[in-house]
Amino acid sequence: MSSVAVNCPACGEPIVAGDAFCESCGSELASAVAAPVPTGSPRAESFPVPKTTLSQAPGIADQCLECSGKVLDDGFCSQCGKKAPSPRDHWQESPVEWIGGVCDKGVVHARNEDAMALAGLPDRSLAVLVVCDGVTSAPDSDRAALAAAREACATLSGTPVPVAGGVAATVSHWGVAIERACADANAAAIGVARALGNPSEPPSCTFIAAVVDNGVVTLGWCGDSRAYWLPDTGDAVQLMLDHSLGTELIQSGMSRSDAETDPTFHTITRWLGADSVDATPDIASHQLTEPGWLLLCSDGLWNYASPAVAVQSLVHDQVAAGLSAPVAIAAALVRWANEQGGHDNITAALARVEPSLR
Amino acid sequence: MAEFKADVFQNEYLADGATDAHAVVSVTCSGAGKAGVAGDAAEIIIVDTSGSMDMPPTKIAAARRAARVAVGEIVDGAWFAVISGHSVAQMVYPPHAGMAKMTAVTRAEALVAVDRLRSGGATAIGAWIQAATELFGQVQSAQRHAILLTDGKIEGEPPAALQQALAAARGRFQCDCRGIGQDWVVDELREISTALMGTVDIVAKPDDLEADFEAMMQAAMSRGVPDARLRMWTPQGSEVLFVRQVAPTVEDITSTGVQTTPLVREFPTGAWSDESRDYHVAVRVPVAPLGNERLAARVELVVNDEVRAKSLVKAVWSADTDLTTRIDPAVAHYTGQAKLADTIQKGLAAKASGDERTATVLLGEAAKLAHDSGNENTTRLLEKVVDVVDADTGTVRLKRNVEKTDEMALDTRSTKTTRIRREP
Repeated sequence: MSSVAVNCPACGEPIVAGDAFCESCGSELASAVAAPVPTGSPRAESFPVPKTTLSQAPGIADQCLECSGKVLDDGFCSQCGKKAPSPRDHWQESPVEWIGGVCDKGVVHARNEDAMALAGLPDRSLAVLVVCDGVTSAPDSDRAALAAAREACATLSGTPVPVAGGVAATVSHWGVAIERACADANAAAIGVARALGNPSEPPSCTFIAAVVDNGVVTLGWCGDSRAYWLPDTGDAVQLMLDHSLGTELIQSGMSRSDAETDPTFHTITRWLGADSVDATPDIASHQLTEPGWLLLCSDGLWNYASPAVAVQSLVHDQVAAGLSAPVAIAAALVRWANEQGGHDNITAALARVEPSLR
Repeated sequence: MAEFKADVFQNEYLADGATDAHAVVSVTCSGAGKAGVAGDAAEIIIVDTSGSMDMPPTKIAAARRAARVAVGEIVDGAWFAVISGHSVAQMVYPPHAGMAKMTAVTRAEALVAVDRLRSGGATAIGAWIQAATELFGQVQSAQRHAILLTDGKIEGEPPAALQQALAAARGRFQCDCRGIGQDWVVDELREISTALMGTVDIVAKPDDLEADFEAMMQAAMSRGVPDARLRMWTPQGSEVLFVRQVAPTVEDITSTGVQTTPLVREFPTGAWSDESRDYHVAVRVPVAPLGNERLAARVELVVNDEVRAKSLVKAVWSADTDLTTRIDPAVAHYTGQAKLADTIQKGLAAKASGDERTATVLLGEAAKLAHDSGNENTTRLLEKVVDVVDADTGTVRLKRNVEKTDEMALDTRSTKTTRIRREP
């Protein structure tokens, strides 16, 4: 699935649809050469105002995450003294009750360079989930990840929904939209680099976006943030393959366990940012015909539970313990990852899919 | 209105599994104003008039002159009294068991009364302190301060009398103590000055007494903030290892803390002028996993229940040994200064008990510590008691003929610290 090929009017070199500047000669590109806008009539209902603790919280959380004591003005708990995370270090989003996510700094890292952005309709007909994982070796990648995730989510929530057509048409429609959203996200990451004076190691991040439209999920990704489909009773499946050297090793025949211990395992081969070699997303899709959970997550989570069946079992444990809201289950997954050591930032975004409810 | 500032110096990084957080909290007061405005201050001058003060008579003569000068420094409107201390505490001025308000009239009367100080009797210091407590109890004033002068050790009262008097006096008034000559006991006066948050010093020559009293009274009159407390919060499950004032003098104030809530302790710090005091605090906190950041303590300066300065002592667990193995220079310096004071006192005690070998080792350690920390005052005091062979290795020889007053000077002034040299 590829976007329409476009060339820079100034130098003739190919450009990525949606780029604001030509990567070859640097000329500013007019919006006329942006990727074609998918057609369809706009929905009557508008998306609810995104509910996120990140945008709403002016300062720090009121309650201690560890002991539930009151957090004082100095940012530390009045009982156990634990530092309350700044919203950027730990926040939750639940735009509608069937979609929820938690983005967390983890234990070991000093900063949270993960980001997410979620949107959805109350009638359960549409969900947008975006996760971006900032590359730690490039400074200020936390800013790029947040800008990219929000930009992609805005693009997708602003895309008109297809009125009619079967599964193929839906996937085609959202595939193009996700390519555009990825290009917008990349532009946002490049914008962050420009605002910082174009550093030699520009801020970079992974990208994964999923749109659930009436039981069909379309996703696009660059890098090693993942999407899993975790049905209640059926087989769990990882919906895409990471863009990483590790995955290439596995594809060439190495066992997963051997590959996962290889030091190059996590080296990503696609990402967003000013120094990206290839920021085109791969596109995949899946039909969700039974009740289950769509999970998008960063490697801070899947590093501790990589096979789809392991992740499924984690989620089912939370359901068995009585949790049902996606945001609560996401919080439990983050807590679990921190208990395993929290060596990286952790993001978990969930959509509860129930075909019978449509 | 007085302004307070509290700055923290620490290395907040703890290694995996470590629990002890150390910090130096430097508290500075500015704009303290003056004491004694409109009956705000109360001063008592306690002069030893025991029989020995006449031997030689220069002592009692000096005491009279010094008391006059001190009375002269007390501002109009302040409460005051002068006590003649011997086998009992005897009122010199006012003529009744109470305090007088300073006016031109009372000042003149007091000066006349002080001139009539005569010596005779024992040295019942406990009784003098008891009397001062009772007098202060009669007046409502924000700041209560006394100067106590003695030339000898306690006699004429049971040993428990001092303890009882101090227990009742603690927190009621501050007392600066001076010993004239060499027959008084440093530990005795230090016990009083520590309990009553004051200074202690030797006045070797009677001629120096006037200037000393004048300075003490001027300092007291410059304390515009009568009563401040150090309020310390520590987290659940933690233990306060110690709280020490480390500048201008070393004073371990850990045991003076009053628990006001399960997690908060308040330490009295007495009256403040425009000045700066440094405190070394050490807290043992429950271990937290790597990457966690927590507070080991909140240290605040409180006046009349109002928080005037805040500071945070942090604990951040890290795997980076470059970060966790550093010692903050202020903490290292003051740990050394406290050790210096302790080493001197132990060395002098060993010398007094005849253990010259231990005394030489300890005073040698002290010489090295004083030299390394640039504490020239203490080095000079040590050089009156030992010959320093090599300050770098701490090699010294005990001097054969040491003036007792030089030893006592080293003892009393061992707690005076040098401040850490701060980077600009």
